[in-house]
Amino acid sequence: MRENTEITSKPLVGFYNFSGCSGCLLTILNCEDDLLDIFAAGEVVSFLMANRGNIEKNLDIAFIDGSVTTKDQQEFLLDLRSRTKKLVALGTCACYGGLQAMETGKSSFASRYQRVYGKTGPTIVQAFESKPLDAFVKVDYYQPGCPIDGKQFLFTYSRLVRDLPADPPLAKVPVCTECKWHENECLLLKDKLCLGPITAAGCNARCPSNNTGCVGCFGPADEQNLTSEINLLKSKKFPLETIERKLRIFGGTRFAAILGQLKKH
Amino acid sequence: MAKIEVKHVARIEGHAGIEVEIERRKVKQVKVNIPEGPRLFETLVLGKTPEEAVSIVPRICAICSVSHRLASITALERAFEIKVPIATKLLRDLMHYGEMIESHSLHIFLLALPDYLGYPNAIAMTDKYTDQVLRGLRLKKFGNRIMEITSARYTHGENPNIGGFYRWPSRNELLEIKNEAERLLADGIETVELMRNLHYPTSMEEGLMFMCLNPLTETYGFTGDSVLISNGEERPVDDYLKLTNERVVAHSTAKRCRYNGKPYIVGPLARMNLLGERLHGKAAEAFKRCYSLTWVRNPLYANQARAIEILFCLEDIPKLIDKLLTTTPPEIKEPTKKSGKAAGAVEAPRGTLYHYYEVARGYVRNANFVIPTTQNLDAIERHIQVAAENLLKTGEINKNEIELLLEMVVRSYDPCVSCSAHFVNLRIKTNDNK
Repeated sequence: MRENTEITSKPLVGFYNFSGCSGCLLTILNCEDDLLDIFAAGEVVSFLMANRGNIEKNLDIAFIDGSVTTKDQQEFLLDLRSRTKKLVALGTCACYGGLQAMETGKSSFASRYQRVYGKTGPTIVQAFESKPLDAFVKVDYYQPGCPIDGKQFLFTYSRLVRDLPADPPLAKVPVCTECKWHENECLLLKDKLCLGPITAAGCNARCPSNNTGCVGCFGPADEQNLTSEINLLKSKKFPLETIERKLRIFGGTRFAAILGQLKKH
Repeated sequence: MAKIEVKHVARIEGHAGIEVEIERRKVKQVKVNIPEGPRLFETLVLGKTPEEAVSIVPRICAICSVSHRLASITALERAFEIKVPIATKLLRDLMHYGEMIESHSLHIFLLALPDYLGYPNAIAMTDKYTDQVLRGLRLKKFGNRIMEITSARYTHGENPNIGGFYRWPSRNELLEIKNEAERLLADGIETVELMRNLHYPTSMEEGLMFMCLNPLTETYGFTGDSVLISNGEERPVDDYLKLTNERVVAHSTAKRCRYNGKPYIVGPLARMNLLGERLHGKAAEAFKRCYSLTWVRNPLYANQARAIEILFCLEDIPKLIDKLLTTTPPEIKEPTKKSGKAAGAVEAPRGTLYHYYEVARGYVRNANFVIPTTQNLDAIERHIQVAAENLLKTGEINKNEIELLLEMVVRSYDPCVSCSAHFVNLRIKTNDNK
């Protein structure tokens, strides 16, 4: 079958999930029209959510959904990195720590843990404040989104199985780019709070296209000007407290650091 | 000392493990271990506006994200005494059906069916069972498409919030859903037949209590303000703490629930056992063909219940859309009140999902979520125990068969471990010093 094709053997692929909602892995299973091709283009050796009898061995590509919040996950991630050629962070949790990192540097993890589980919590895990993958290992590609966009995943996947560079094309630019393609009326001009100008594109500008401000779920765009966004929102009479709260929800560890800097000025 | 160990329960959402300790051919202890990384959502919504909370909570779990959104909206609208127009309720029902169809077809075709047909995953079945796999993917895609049109995305769509929808779907979008539901009705009937004709193991059978919401109308459905219990009781949703009695255990980051000190079951099997008689049309015919008293004792029949629920949704969607098309699209209503507290519940694909909020001067001050999988975990442990005991009685232990059967029991509940905290490893330990 394969004699006359360029691809001599299929790349070995693994799909993993740490702390998160599994929405990014679900988005892969939601590619109903392409699902059979996804499994045909790579040799999927580990995908716990969809397969029984998974094998942990050296991989060409590992896709990871979720952030790191336990000691066991941290150790597994280090092991996975040591046996994987290309490691892809899938979604805002894996890229930036996710929603669960929104309190980073603001309130104590221990007190939040105690509030949920009481004084004698479960002993099965050693839990800590949510961290993105790159707090522990080198990440080769970041594909943000809460959840990721299926079409963007197919782009990344089809390039990676051919060993081509696979940076998601829209993560550099903000949501406004896609919003303009839709010819939407700008919500900021209507004095509605929208995080579109600083949030990575790739979602097809879904929220502004539905008459509601971008909540920032793809995390920060590479090419964004946070100070300008904050000043713009302040000029529209949004209190700094509100702006900070909105930024933190999906901005995870990235905005937490920047917001700390801003407060000093 | 013999030791049987299966590290991870596959084909479920999240990570979980099962540990069965056996001594002198007797089951000493059963534990469903949940080492999922905690994310502490109850604390993440504190200090947020109610609208922000509605956007945060679906991220508890992607597979039931619509149900989390609906449960939060239901609770917060009760807290603020907001009454939404009938059109809004109908569109919410449509969105809810989308999630049921997607989640149930994902479970039936991609997660459960490989066990019954002897495959590690659904993709491997494709050569021999092409029609079945493609049917599953068609249904799943349709469920997703409904959620995309109504909620703005397959998962975590931000279109619905307190007071309604930011954007109302167009007439053409609604007609597209109606036509597709009619076209896929045959797939729904075929799915019921497929599930009805599978062989269901019986070694785990034991009758447990069931609970589900009592729909306001006398029909089948997934919303309500009170809870029906199989012991004949009916309690308001506001009593959710007394109904669920959450407790923390050492071996799980998911809490556990009991009612009157006993494990109980929520989800499709509970709904069919308590409400199945209310079905109409093709779904009622399917229910009559499938249902037997075994459904009270055997959790695996949840797979047939899921198939019937898919059929119920497909059949109800055209009627629902006909009603929607006669209504005027309402504007989203912002809450006028800034303070209040209330519980609200919906039936998620996996069972009754409770959200509770206290809001003061525009910000959430307290929140609590009781998740279907959390409620089912004690019942799962009980059914594993019964299965292990019966299998040990029958003689030789075939490690692979026991592991598969116990995994099938866990999977039949379609556990959503992200929801419950997240995570399950299946570990069977035997300390059998014969």
